[in-house]
Amino acid sequence: MKQLKTRQVCFFLIAFLPITKFFSLPSIIASHANEDLWISALLCLVLDFITLIPIVIACRNANKNFFELLEDCLGRAGAKIVAVFYLIFFFVKTILPINEQKDYIEFTLYTLKPTVIYFLPLFLLAFYICFKKLRVFGRLSDIFWMVTLNGFIALIALSIPNADFSAVLPIGARGFSNVIKGSFRAFNWFNDCVFIMFFIGNFDYDKKAGLKIFLSFALGAVMVVVFMITFYAIFSSIAFRQRFALTEMSKYTTVISNLGRFDYIGIFMILFSNVFALCLPFYFSSKLLKYIFNINRLWVAPTITVLSQLFIVLFLYEFSVTFERVITNYFSFYFILLGNILPIILSIIFIRRTKYAIKKG
Amino acid sequence: MRLKRAKAMMISVLLLFTFFFSNDFGLIDVEKTSIVTAIAIDYENQKYLVTAQVAVPEATDTNTENQKAQLSGKGNTVGEAIKDLGDLSGWFPKLAFCNLIILGNGLKDQNVVRILDYFAKTLRLQDSALVALADKNAKEILSLSTPLDNISSFAIQKILFKASGFDNDVARTDIKTFCAGYYSPNSSGFMPIIKVISADSGSGNEGEKADNSSSSSSQKNQTSQGSNSDSNNLFDARTTALFKDGKMVGELSPDLTVAFNAINTSIAGTSLAVKNVPYNDQECNYLLTVLNDKNSIKVKATENDVEVNISLSLFCKVSDVDATDSGQSLSANLPLSKPLIEKTKTMLVNNITQLINTSVQTGCDFLKIKEKLYRFNYSKYSLYKDNFLSKLKVKIDADVRGQR
Repeated sequence: MKQLKTRQVCFFLIAFLPITKFFSLPSIIASHANEDLWISALLCLVLDFITLIPIVIACRNANKNFFELLEDCLGRAGAKIVAVFYLIFFFVKTILPINEQKDYIEFTLYTLKPTVIYFLPLFLLAFYICFKKLRVFGRLSDIFWMVTLNGFIALIALSIPNADFSAVLPIGARGFSNVIKGSFRAFNWFNDCVFIMFFIGNFDYDKKAGLKIFLSFALGAVMVVVFMITFYAIFSSIAFRQRFALTEMSKYTTVISNLGRFDYIGIFMILFSNVFALCLPFYFSSKLLKYIFNINRLWVAPTITVLSQLFIVLFLYEFSVTFERVITNYFSFYFILLGNILPIILSIIFIRRTKYAIKKG
Repeated sequence: MRLKRAKAMMISVLLLFTFFFSNDFGLIDVEKTSIVTAIAIDYENQKYLVTAQVAVPEATDTNTENQKAQLSGKGNTVGEAIKDLGDLSGWFPKLAFCNLIILGNGLKDQNVVRILDYFAKTLRLQDSALVALADKNAKEILSLSTPLDNISSFAIQKILFKASGFDNDVARTDIKTFCAGYYSPNSSGFMPIIKVISADSGSGNEGEKADNSSSSSSQKNQTSQGSNSDSNNLFDARTTALFKDGKMVGELSPDLTVAFNAINTSIAGTSLAVKNVPYNDQECNYLLTVLNDKNSIKVKATENDVEVNISLSLFCKVSDVDATDSGQSLSANLPLSKPLIEKTKTMLVNNITQLINTSVQTGCDFLKIKEKLYRFNYSKYSLYKDNFLSKLKVKIDADVRGQR
């Protein structure tokens, strides 16, 4: 009995992958690509889709999980080196989304500066989830795909009446280099196929599972692109400075002016889903840490993972702009390498290995 | 046991996140918080003077004047002035309910984006708040009493933000739209000018009274007869101020404001006054109501010029006519006479032509022609981006229809 069903993997792609791109990412891309921001996002999504193809193929016949396959192919030492790289990958990948969620909660939901205690539940939840087996995300996906989708539909439906979609024209006027620059700075929020790579050997590969997974990924990608286009259609020339677009997008509609901010229902849905999406890198960091150092005690790896991020939030908050600059400018190479290139290479190796094993009987 | 543990976990998560999203359960210390409903900004002695109109909850409604209070603060920036306002009063200025920002007349010659950008960037105030220019000191406007509402800013908001289907004769804008216009290729914007009318004298501005094109928007009729003269102030916002690079460069009269709204948004429900229309052997004045409308501004750049095709199609009904021998009921949606259609068309074409001329003269591209040039004619954008206003070739197609 494997930990996940194909259905849950599909819901996972809808529930947690688009959600992290709805916060500060649109404004970061818009600062380079302006009206072409959706092209920048699309490029990242296409790259992720290309990465997803060999991963899904590798999932098809896999009878071993990611770590076992890694050891089969690279030996124990090689597997641990790869695991160290991914530990760094997940650690860095968590910093900006955690900070943006914190800023979002503090600046938009609270009038006065709230105490940091308000943000601690997220770490408690992450700590708890790190204890669980992978099926926890399957169960969460079963519930949260609906929450994410409803929140998204509510926000977009309320935003569209005030959107001027001609704002995304002319296509490509900002030049290819700016579009690429926008994509490059966005890699921290993409590379989501890595999560699926860690699902290898952990889910029942149904009939036509590949098609279902690709379609689910496509739905998530459409959500991201629609969000980017609607975002720019609303803010146009001032899009680059809308760091908290989620709160701002839907409020210009007449119905909001008359009835009050009921769009917060949709915003809360998205925030709620995002909390669990943020737990993903925590979870995998914890598992990698446990694997690398052969940690037997259940609580050690989750504690180290959560405390290290908590340390950044509590004590290095004043460096958050520097973190953003360094991660989006310099770590993007690392994200492409570990998030796209290495998963493709590893998946191809896994496919060959599995085929060879099947042939051998 | 497992189920119990799962339930306990779910309840803990819910409790934790109630805490997380609670916004302190909206609990604020009312005694230390001022709920700002409107802000007036003036520039005095090289400093910004911010006056906030504050809604103060009272236990009694016997005294109408006790429901409002005004606070002022000064500073080198608008943010500093608002902080000063809080420092002086001990109240924390809560701006989340502030839906109106009035700029004083003295600010029209400087770049108003220096002020408005603060509101566009801060999360303390909604950037969907309306922006207007006062024809005098903004603080004075907020201080005025009016029979329309106990709080003057609410009275102003009523004329700025009318229900859809009612007269659309105010060119309203909000902070986000104004700032987006400033940072767009056309760097232009507009906002209504708030003028004070004395109800006792009929109108404080005779010039305005003369060219009332859409009478129903005027609040003169709503004056309560018994009010004392101090509180008989009404507001008119049908004149529009035009801004280029953040500075005021011109005005649109009420007639032109309606024409601008007609080609820029929808004017369904708006009344149009058409004068001196031949009717049998006499000349009559008509009041038409627009029931439905369609508009478009299309820009096409060629090698020689920038073609602007403005089309406007109105479906109207007669709401009133001052004929001496009219035997027809106004409740029926009657066909419009040919002279009336022609007269209305001529009026619309003339007004739209004046709009174009105003845009050329002031340099304010409030019709967003440059933006359309950029979005839809990008290949020719570099050719015309600096001189498009002198290369305009305008074609206006106005169509007025009635029941057939």
